[in-house]
Amino acid sequence: MKKHFTALSVLFFFTLLLLHAAPAEAQCQLGVPAIKIGAQGAASGPHADYGRQIEMGATMAIEEINAAGGILGCKLEMKFMDDENKAATGVKNARYLVAEWGAHFMVGTDSSGVAMAMGPVLAELKRIHFFTHAATHRLTEELVAEKGIKEIVRVSVPVYQDAIVAALIFKDRPEIKRWATIGADYEYGYVAWNMFKETLRKYRPDAEFVAAVWAPFLTLDFSPHVAAVMAQKPDAILATPWAGEAVMLLRQALIQGVFDQVQVWWQAMGGSVDVLEGIASEVQRDRFKGKLWATARYIHNWPDTPENKAFNERFKKRWARLPNYSAETTYSALFIIKAAVEKSRSLETAKVIEGLKGMQINNPGGLRVFRAEDQQFIYNVPAGRVVMDPKYPIPVLGDLKVFAAKDYYRHPPFTPVAATK
Amino acid sequence: MDAIAFQGLIGLSMAMYLWLISAGLTIIFGVLRIINFAHGSLFMMGAYLAFTFYGQLGLPFWLAILLSLLGVGLLGLVMERGFLRRIYGIDEAYQLLLTFGFILILDDAVKIIWGGVFKIPAIPPFLDGAWRVFGRPFPVYNAFVIAVGVAVAVGLWALFEKTWWGRIVRATASDREMANAIGVNVPRVFSGVFVFGSMLAALGGALGTPVRVVAPGIGAAMIIQAFIITVIGGLGNLKGAFVASLIVGILSAYGTLFFPVFELFLIFAIMAVVLLLRPQGLFAR
Repeated sequence: MKKHFTALSVLFFFTLLLLHAAPAEAQCQLGVPAIKIGAQGAASGPHADYGRQIEMGATMAIEEINAAGGILGCKLEMKFMDDENKAATGVKNARYLVAEWGAHFMVGTDSSGVAMAMGPVLAELKRIHFFTHAATHRLTEELVAEKGIKEIVRVSVPVYQDAIVAALIFKDRPEIKRWATIGADYEYGYVAWNMFKETLRKYRPDAEFVAAVWAPFLTLDFSPHVAAVMAQKPDAILATPWAGEAVMLLRQALIQGVFDQVQVWWQAMGGSVDVLEGIASEVQRDRFKGKLWATARYIHNWPDTPENKAFNERFKKRWARLPNYSAETTYSALFIIKAAVEKSRSLETAKVIEGLKGMQINNPGGLRVFRAEDQQFIYNVPAGRVVMDPKYPIPVLGDLKVFAAKDYYRHPPFTPVAATK
Repeated sequence: MDAIAFQGLIGLSMAMYLWLISAGLTIIFGVLRIINFAHGSLFMMGAYLAFTFYGQLGLPFWLAILLSLLGVGLLGLVMERGFLRRIYGIDEAYQLLLTFGFILILDDAVKIIWGGVFKIPAIPPFLDGAWRVFGRPFPVYNAFVIAVGVAVAVGLWALFEKTWWGRIVRATASDREMANAIGVNVPRVFSGVFVFGSMLAALGGALGTPVRVVAPGIGAAMIIQAFIITVIGGLGNLKGAFVASLIVGILSAYGTLFFPVFELFLIFAIMAVVLLLRPQGLFAR
């Protein structure tokens, strides 16, 4: 009996050893201890929720990928850094992440200004950065399509959506003629306004652009901007300050009675979860009078698919928040990395880019299709009116206007759109 | 014409925030000869404390402002007694280093305590809404800010010109050895003035909580404007700070209306002109 017991315990001991050794057996087929992902975003200041959402999306994707065995047996590891929405910090972080920390891929980046500064540095570092929020068209039209920087890949829909979709929706409202902008005083604000004007003019030669004012980052008070624009009696306003600044801008517009005077307020990226949370009490009291329209680069309530619903459920369970678009785009970027590495069976930049070619991938936000000319993943996102929906604790985009992505993405060869005021 | 008058009024309300922050800065410089780079951070602390008391704890708005003034006053006391006092006698470069250090510490402290994300409480109901002025809705809140700013200006004038405490402070500002010799407790005056100046900054920050962005980094954004104002008005001159706040606040509002493309450049241009023509500031003696 005793002998039998000893044999059993030896067997048990070996089983334990084997079990313990099992992960080592499913070794990383790429010959690295781990695939390292460097992530960045604005994680402090008025725009901080975006960086947090980038981190949440990336963390969740990595947890899921690792739980399912990683990429070709390799576990993923991430380091997230705050770029403070500053170009210099973003560049410094990228250099650190690649040269010191050893990142194989990078993801994130909120601001167009930061993205444009990072672009040329990525070519020098020879690492792909999957941009999951920064929206200037020049990132992909100029730096990729024209200058050939292949280390730039964009997963989130660019300014096309904020500008071109607005024109496509409101071209059919003949009573809205006089447009004004309260713009973010940097690349993104300028290109959104210029692209909107260019598109609307094609359909509506009678449209007038009556005022344009500009507010830099860390504008604490938009009252003078709102007052200056309203002096021109516009029918509609296109606003591009984002995140916490958008919430403040809307509040200051409300107390100046703007929503009694205009027909439409188009808030670029107003469909962002942090903005919707910030204006919830005003929407509940219908203070925007149904005139507030917004975009986002993904909205949690669209598309109405089981995949998206499951993603929402997992996200809410993990973080007790609804996923913002920078979370979905970053989450999806990680699965794009997984697919490209599995296809190319390599971590080398050139081979992974080859692996991206022809990729069509289903993400929570729907089907994303890779376009090789400018290295963008093209997908569809609707814009809509900000409304309350009893299904959700915070306002959502409703009355959705869905356009096919091909109708609002610009196509190569690109004609330049000015990035100036 | 109405548009111009309306924009001026909006500019006036912007000027009042600038006045509150630059008043404290200039009073502290006038008496202690300290250029407090961290003054903007005290403005930020005022905003965060007001957010905590009003937005999170649900105290009445007035009480929240009062408590945030006391909180920042206490912080000012610690800064003056614990740190600045030790460097009055040495080179001014150390003031810069020390107070700049406070900017970094306080910016990180608010990130640790309140998180990096922006904070926005609701507008108190009695300050919501608008009045019709020059044919357009003028926010009650902005009118309230103007009223507070003017009340502080009148109060400061009365305090410094009409009270015994004001005379002591002015005496200390003009000659601290002489004041000491005639029995003024100079270190105590220094502490009192620093605390008072800190509270003015906090008032500026707290006042904006329901309508302005509260986030790390707003202190640095405000201090730059406050310095422009003190340069234009003359460092240490309260009347100068008031007039320069009006100039900067109102002209930048007009800049937004008339020259939106280079509005930001405008106030720097004014500062440059003042520095060229009257480097001591418009109101310096």
